[in-house]
Amino acid sequence: MAIAEELYAYSGGVNELLARYGVKFGIYKNGEFHEQLFPFDIIPRIINHDEFAQLERGLKQRVFALNEFLKDIYSDGKIISDGVIAEEFIYSGTGWLAQCAGVSPPKGIYSHISGIDLVQAKNGTWYILEDNLRIPSGASYPMIARELGRKSLPPEFFEKHHVEDNRNYAELLSRTMNYVNTGGLSVILTPGRFNAAYFEHSYFAELTGAHLVTCEDLVVEDENLYFKDYSGKKEKIGAIYRRISDEYLDPVNFNSQSLIGVPHIFDIYRKGNVAIINSPGNGAADDKGIYYFVPAMIKYYLHEEPILNNAPTYLPYYEDDMKYILANFDNLVLKDVAEAGGYGVIFGNKLSSSEKEKFIAMLKAEPRRFIAQEVIDFQDIEIFEGSSQVPRKADLRAFVLMSDEPVVWKSGLTRFSRNPDSFIVNSSQGGGFKDTWIMTEEK
Amino acid sequence: MMHRLRYIYQMRLNFEEPVREHHFKLRCFPSSDERQKIFNEHIKIYPVHFSNAEKDSFGNLCIYGTANQMHDHFAVNVDGEAEINSEGKVPAALNKIGMFKYETNLTRAGNSIREFHRSFEPMNYMTGYERAIYMMNELYEEFLYTPGITGILTSAEEAFTLRRGVCQDYAHILLALCRLERIPCRYTAGMIPGEGATHAWTEIFDAGAWRAIDPTHNRECDDTYIKISSGRDAQDCAINQGVFYGGGRQTQEVKVIVHEILPQS
Amino acid sequence: MDYDGGKINMSILSRENSERLFWLGRYSERVYTGLRSIIGSYAKNFSLDETNPESAVFSLARAYDNAIVLRDEIGSETFSYIQLAVYEINKAKKSLTPLIHLQKVIDNIAAFCGMADDSIEDEHARGIIKLGKRIERVDLYSRMNANVEDIRREIRRLIYRLPKTGLRYDAETLERLIMLANDDSLKRPEIVKEVEGLIKFLE
Repeated sequence: MAIAEELYAYSGGVNELLARYGVKFGIYKNGEFHEQLFPFDIIPRIINHDEFAQLERGLKQRVFALNEFLKDIYSDGKIISDGVIAEEFIYSGTGWLAQCAGVSPPKGIYSHISGIDLVQAKNGTWYILEDNLRIPSGASYPMIARELGRKSLPPEFFEKHHVEDNRNYAELLSRTMNYVNTGGLSVILTPGRFNAAYFEHSYFAELTGAHLVTCEDLVVEDENLYFKDYSGKKEKIGAIYRRISDEYLDPVNFNSQSLIGVPHIFDIYRKGNVAIINSPGNGAADDKGIYYFVPAMIKYYLHEEPILNNAPTYLPYYEDDMKYILANFDNLVLKDVAEAGGYGVIFGNKLSSSEKEKFIAMLKAEPRRFIAQEVIDFQDIEIFEGSSQVPRKADLRAFVLMSDEPVVWKSGLTRFSRNPDSFIVNSSQGGGFKDTWIMTEEK
Repeated sequence: MMHRLRYIYQMRLNFEEPVREHHFKLRCFPSSDERQKIFNEHIKIYPVHFSNAEKDSFGNLCIYGTANQMHDHFAVNVDGEAEINSEGKVPAALNKIGMFKYETNLTRAGNSIREFHRSFEPMNYMTGYERAIYMMNELYEEFLYTPGITGILTSAEEAFTLRRGVCQDYAHILLALCRLERIPCRYTAGMIPGEGATHAWTEIFDAGAWRAIDPTHNRECDDTYIKISSGRDAQDCAINQGVFYGGGRQTQEVKVIVHEILPQS
Repeated sequence: MDYDGGKINMSILSRENSERLFWLGRYSERVYTGLRSIIGSYAKNFSLDETNPESAVFSLARAYDNAIVLRDEIGSETFSYIQLAVYEINKAKKSLTPLIHLQKVIDNIAAFCGMADDSIEDEHARGIIKLGKRIERVDLYSRMNANVEDIRREIRRLIYRLPKTGLRYDAETLERLIMLANDDSLKRPEIVKEVEGLIKFLE
C-alpha cells in the first residue's frame, strides 16, 4: 500500500506523541495495576465512501432495533408474547435488570452510545461480531491518534487524502448528553484512575467540558442528583455518562456490598429526574445469546431486512442447532455468553480429544451458556513490524451515538492482534490499534 | 366470614459507633390488593432527613431516604389492620410473569436439588399449581425446620444440601424446584399470627392469578397471611437495604406481632 | 479541540480535585527546587531512590499521580509536561550521565508551570496549583536554611496568593506566619509548622 510507505516515516513521531500525552490503558497483572501504552500502528484501516455508507445504514438500523427491543422488554414484552424471541435469553441473561421493568428513561433512549464490533471477511463482506451497549470504550484512541497525526504529518495531509474528519466525536457525545439532559450539568462518572479506560474518561471530559466526577463527588438530595463543589456548594446534574456498571451504580438498589456507587441515584432515575447514559439494564440487549435474535428483531420492529449480517451463529439451546454444532464442532468457535474481552472463546479445532469430550459434556449440561459461530476468514490487515509490513487479524468497533436520531461516527477503533496466529484483538490481551479512515465522496 | 388482623412490625438497628449519611430503602409495608385490604396504617421512621415513597418494579411499596445527622440507632415502626380474603385473586398479566420462571442466584438448582427433583414422579396431567403442591409435599418430608443454621444470603442449593433451614430456605428451594419446570412462581415476604419475625412463602401462577402456598407449613395460605412484598427471591424483597459511614458493629432487632381483632358485638 | 488553545471551561471544582491541584503544585515545586539545589552536587543517587520519600523521583511520582487524574482540569497539554518529566527521570535512573536527564526534568517542570499558568482558564484551579507551589517553596526554603530575604519574599508571595483560590485558610495561623516573617530572628522550624497548617480542606 503506497500510503503505508508514505506514513512509515511518521510512525515514530506519532508514537512519541502518544506517549507524551499519556495515551494508556490500565491492566492488572498478578494483582498489580500497571499503565501501558496502547501500541499504535500507523497504517490506517481505510473504508471507502460507498462501503461506509452501507455500514452506516446497517448500524443505524441495528441500533434503532436494539433500542426498540429494550423499550419493549421493559414494558409490554410484545416480542416475547409474539414468540419472536425465547424469553429465557432475556430473563436468565446477566444484563436483565428486573428493577427497570416499567421504568422509561428520558426520551426513551436506552443505548445512547453503542460500540458495534464488526469484521470483514476475505470476500469483502462485513459481519457483526458483537454488540456492546453497556459501557463500550475505545473511541478516544482513534480520536487522539488523529489529533496527534495532524500535528506530525505534513499540513493538509488528511484533506489531500480525502479522509473524513473524525474530530467531532466530542461534539457528538455532548449532543447525546444534552439531548437527554433533564436540566443541570452533564458529567462523566469514572470509577477512578485504576480503571482500564481511565484515559478515555478523562480525555472525554477534557474535550466535552463535562465534569469528570467520582461517586464521592455526588449526592442525591430532594429527589435530585447534585455535584458537591469544594466550597460546599451543590450543583444539579441533569445527565450522567457513567463508566461504571449497573451493579455498582447504587448500593441501596443493587449490590449493597458495593463500596462505590451513588445511593438513591436509581430511585430518582425512575422518577425521570436524571438521565443515566447508557441506561441501566440495557445489557439485556447485548448478551451474546440475544445477538442471535437481532436479525429477527430488525424484521419485527422495523419490517425491514437486516442490512448487515450476523456471523452465522448457532444456539445449542435449540435442538437442531445443537446437532449442527456437534457435527461441525471443529469448524466452529464457541463463546461463553457471560464472558467478555476475548475471554471464554474456544476454537473447536484447538481442543484435544479429551478436552473436546469434556467441553461437549458441559455444553449439553448448560446449553444456554454458549453460542457457536462459524469461524470467519477475516481479511487480514497490514501492520508494520519494524519496517516491513505483515498481515494480522483485525476487527472494527464502530460507534453509534443516539440523540434525536442515531449517528454513526465517521471513524472507529480498529484493533489488531500482534500475534500472527491469533484472532483475539483485545487490548487486555496484547492487541494494538489503528486509526480508521472513512473516505469522503471525492476520489 | 372475614377475619380482621392487627399487625405491628418493628425493626431497630443499633450501631456500636454513631453513623452519618445513612441512606436506606425499606420494604416493610403491607399494601392493599385483591387479596388483602389494609386499614389505619401508621409508619414511623427515625431518624429521617428526607424520605419518599414509591412502588418498585414488583409493585412493592418502598420508602427510601437519608438520615444525615449522627445517630446510634435507626428504627422503623409500622402498625395497622388487615382484612384478607384468601380467595381473592391477585391478577398477573401473562407478559409480566416471564421473569418468575427462571432461576436467580439464590434459587439456582445445583446437583442436590436436581437429584431430588429427578426422584419425583413425572408430571402427568397436572396444572403448574397442582405440581407445585406436589413438590411442596415432597420438600416438607425431606427438609427439617431448624433455625440458626442458614442466613439471609444462603442459597436454595446450600440450604437443601444441609436439609435444614427456615422459611426463607423452604421458599427458595420450592422456587428452585418450580423453576426447573418453568412454573412461574415468586417469593413472598409477610407476617402471620403470633409474635416473632417476618415469614416467607411462595406464590404460584395459576389461571391468570397468583396463589399463595406456604412450604414451611405445607399448606395453602389462608386468610391470616399478611403479605408485605414479593419478587423473584428474598433479595428482591429485602426489608432494609442501607449504606452509611461509620458504625462499627451493628445489631438488628425485629419484632412482629399479629393477632386477630375479635368482631365487636 | 486544539490543545494549544487550552480549551478548558471549568466553573466548579470537586473537593478531591481541589486537593489534588494543591498537591500537584506542591510536589512539582518540590521536584523543581529539590533538583535545582542538587545539580552540580553529588546527590543524584539520593534524588533517584524511589523508596526515599524525600527523593525527587518519589515527589515526581506523586505529582504524576495527581496530574493523571486532573487531565480534564489542567488539559492534556499541561499534563504532558509531567508525563515527559517522568520519562526523563526514568532515563536518568539508567543513564551514565543522569544530570543531563535531570536538567530535562527541571525544564519540563518549568514548562509545566508556564503552561498551567497560561492555559488553565479556571481562575481557582490555576490559583490552587500556584498556592501549592508557594506553600512548598516557603516550606522548602525554611527547611533548606535559605537566607532570610529569600524566605521573607516567598512568604509575601504566598500571602498575596492566598485569597485567590476559594480554599479556606486559618486566619490565626496566617497572623502568626506574618509575625514570624517580621521577626528579626527568623524562626525557621516554626515557619514550617505554621505554613503546613495554613490550608483547611473541607471534610
